[in-house]
Amino acid sequence: MLLTEKEAKSITDKLLAYVKAGDAAVSVSSDNLAHLRFAQNNFLTSGQRTNRSANITVWIEGKHGSSSTSDLDDASLQTMVEQAEQIARLAPVDREYLPTLGAQTYKPVNGYAEATANISPAARAKAVGDILSEFEKAGVIGAGFHQARAQAGAFATKNGNFAFERSSIVSLSITARTTDGTSSGYFLRSHFDVNRLDTKRIAREAIRKTLAGKNARTIEPGVYTVILEPQAVADLLGGLAFAFDARSAEEGRSAYSAPGGKTRLKEKIFDERISIYSDPWNAELPGSQSAQSGIPAQKIYLVKNGVLDNLVYSRFWAKQRNVEPTAGPVNTIVETSGKSATTEEMIGSTKRGILISRFWYIRSTDPRTASLTGLTRDGVWLVENGKIQYPLKNFRFNQSIVQMLAPGNIELVGVSERVGGSEGGGASLLPALKLKAFNFTSQSEAV
Amino acid sequence: MTFSRRDFIKTASLTLGALTLPSWVFDANAATNFFIDVNKNDLADIALSTAKKLGASYADIRINRYRLEAIATRERQVQAVSSGQNFGFGVRVLVKGTWGFAASPIVTPEEVRRVTREAVEIASANAAFQRKPVKLAPAPKVVASWKSSFEKNPFDVPVDDKIQFLLKLNEAALAVKGVSFVNSSMAWVNEQKFLATSDGSRIEQYLIRGNPTFTVTAVDRASGDFQTRSSLIEAQSAGYEYIEKTDWLAEINRASEEAVMKLKAKTVEPGKYDLVLHPSHLFLTIHESVGHPTELDRALLWEANYAGTSFLTPDKTGKLQFGSKIVNFVADRTQPKGLATVGYDDEGVEAQKWHLVKNGTFVDWQTTRDLAPLIGKNKSYGCLHADSWGSIPFPRMPNVSLELAKANVSTDDLIAGVDKGIMIYGRGSYSIDQQRYNFQFGGQTFWEIKNGKIAGMLRDVAYQSRTTDFWGACDGLGGQSTYLIPGTFNDGKGEPGQSNAVSHGCPVARFRQINVLNTAAKAQE
Repeated sequence: MLLTEKEAKSITDKLLAYVKAGDAAVSVSSDNLAHLRFAQNNFLTSGQRTNRSANITVWIEGKHGSSSTSDLDDASLQTMVEQAEQIARLAPVDREYLPTLGAQTYKPVNGYAEATANISPAARAKAVGDILSEFEKAGVIGAGFHQARAQAGAFATKNGNFAFERSSIVSLSITARTTDGTSSGYFLRSHFDVNRLDTKRIAREAIRKTLAGKNARTIEPGVYTVILEPQAVADLLGGLAFAFDARSAEEGRSAYSAPGGKTRLKEKIFDERISIYSDPWNAELPGSQSAQSGIPAQKIYLVKNGVLDNLVYSRFWAKQRNVEPTAGPVNTIVETSGKSATTEEMIGSTKRGILISRFWYIRSTDPRTASLTGLTRDGVWLVENGKIQYPLKNFRFNQSIVQMLAPGNIELVGVSERVGGSEGGGASLLPALKLKAFNFTSQSEAV
Repeated sequence: MTFSRRDFIKTASLTLGALTLPSWVFDANAATNFFIDVNKNDLADIALSTAKKLGASYADIRINRYRLEAIATRERQVQAVSSGQNFGFGVRVLVKGTWGFAASPIVTPEEVRRVTREAVEIASANAAFQRKPVKLAPAPKVVASWKSSFEKNPFDVPVDDKIQFLLKLNEAALAVKGVSFVNSSMAWVNEQKFLATSDGSRIEQYLIRGNPTFTVTAVDRASGDFQTRSSLIEAQSAGYEYIEKTDWLAEINRASEEAVMKLKAKTVEPGKYDLVLHPSHLFLTIHESVGHPTELDRALLWEANYAGTSFLTPDKTGKLQFGSKIVNFVADRTQPKGLATVGYDDEGVEAQKWHLVKNGTFVDWQTTRDLAPLIGKNKSYGCLHADSWGSIPFPRMPNVSLELAKANVSTDDLIAGVDKGIMIYGRGSYSIDQQRYNFQFGGQTFWEIKNGKIAGMLRDVAYQSRTTDFWGACDGLGGQSTYLIPGTFNDGKGEPGQSNAVSHGCPVARFRQINVLNTAAKAQE
């Protein structure tokens, strides 16, 4: 039920033909979502949803209005256009209006797999049934979520731009708990191609972590050296490329603002081994071919070798500042340079520290320093003299991200891999990190 | 505030037969082409008979339309004005004790047949590997319609009026010296829901909810410091009268002055303080530390892979000391102005009110038809909800409210009993662990209490506690004059993630000796 390019174009053409306003941006999207949720070694809920929608924004003499609908018949589309125009006539002048883009050239991205879009309920049931058997064999209580989503859509402008794009993503996350409820392990991976998702590995890792987390002990909270597995890094830093907004930095309300109305652009803000960029054509983590307002996406660096290399300018703010609007970000890739270490090497080099699998319920406490609070979850171990000694109960942390990545605080870096944030959000490419200091402020009994 | 009046229109019939639904149901868009009339009862007959023929022991169909309107402004500009609607249906089937679900925006007889077959196919594929079949608590047949309480339909108010209201708020903020930026917005939701079940229920509901809000920012460019203050008035189940009858100008004036004050406020000294918590703050603490742990699906590990489980377990029912003796929590899907107030839940169980915590003891759970039998109950409390026609309905939180003091205790009375404390207003940063033991909450404004009186503003405050320690430390509740019913529009839970709107009525409350920390980051050791 995904729209083909021809079907999508016929809808965007139709919408633009209905438009009486001076300028307009229209879009149409379709998606298929198939999912299966399991818990207590049992199937819980499972479903499939198809969806379609159309959106329009029009500008009449610089005033704008938007409308959307899930009904794609001619009468509903026409009503949607009229409604947007009615809103625009009533609205005050949009001082941030810039004419929509004319025709652009997009370099295609390979982020769609037919096998993901047409997942078989029977094959999925069997794969999850096998995982339930693994839980039973290991004597653990398992829960998890398998989701496959495919999207196809197009956007167009009254000034002649048109682009069609398809994408897909499949993910499996698993939590295994001991029957006495004293240990829990978690593992999540995703890919755009279902054939590249190793469901057995995900189950194996979740079970291994829960069995290795039995008999957790308590140690005092405080500042510790930590080894963050890629999942823990993803939970803290996933989507980081989207946090470099130029306008808020220049308006003095971001962690990248500097006293005196300046920004920290071109300052060395992070360890020099850290670079953060967005790249639509990354083979493991393809992004969208189009960035904000339909600008063709490019590879862009936000942080290069620790230096704040770029802030992200919207089309409006770029015009105000007489710079080019930013062709991204469309994904987050944290790349490390220099010698990389495996998690085992990080453990081996640690005199006393804490190994962390995952973080949870992370919330901002102070945007001035990008400070966060949250908790560890599903796997914490004490490392002493180069070896894992025993599992620990969970901690709450309060930690500034800027200080965490600052020069002098990163001891070792891993090789980046594709990991999704466990609290939501898409996947990013991120490494394991060994950090000199990380601030735990209290204990949590939660498992 | 009173619990005695159910000020909504309600017509209900337990008899079977021809449906006579009131004309207002589904006619809100009749003046526009958006409304596509479909014969919902005929479509329901197709879904339910197809499901039965294919072996489903239970089935339901929801045919829903959602209207949304949102306006966002900053300073003297309108950033976005949008209006949208979506319409579709979802079919849920139980085959060999296994759920299946499918949904589509194409509301035609052929598509209803196809989607029902798809739901059965999914359920059947999974049933082959199912270990323990799902059982449903019985629910009486209901043929009814219900409408939420509002005076003025916000979708009938011209967009221009809404824009002018927000820009006037912004102008008031910008007139305060030291204010640098202001964002304001309002969002309105209208749900038009139809449910038919294989048990014979047919229910139509019409709901309106509103979420007006703003944030004022004060920036000190010289030092690079900035502070914000957001609205203390929260989302409600209400119509446009919520805009017209609330003194928003007074609230944004106060907010603007406080945003500027925060730049120069004293940073908090960490340590133990007595806390006096205003309802605009306390509601979210209730949500996280009481609402979520009393969800039975969490306790039974259904949410283990995402939102988490609960420190409460069925064996603790009626035994665990949750808080001090003055602490009483009610779950209430009938509470006026409550965002989770409905006539019926998404499997046709009538809205109810019951105690979760009584005289400090944890006594009961939030349940649905598939949860209730798992703790030996033969009746659901009606907590099933889906945020869309395309989402699987699953257990969601009702309004969970803290009962007020019988005497008319004022905020000043509670402050008078504090030597060293902090009064907190508004929702700030909030974080709680996956079993709901350890939490940390910030707020919008913090006021030092010294010797029974407010002594001045503080900043960088968050408190950290453990749920039962915290509620055990509650030694004072305000009376009716302090009671408010703030709510949140977007409570996330489930996989795929769904959003739920829910309110938490509460008076001002006092807590003794809670651990307070300073959230301003300092140089690391």
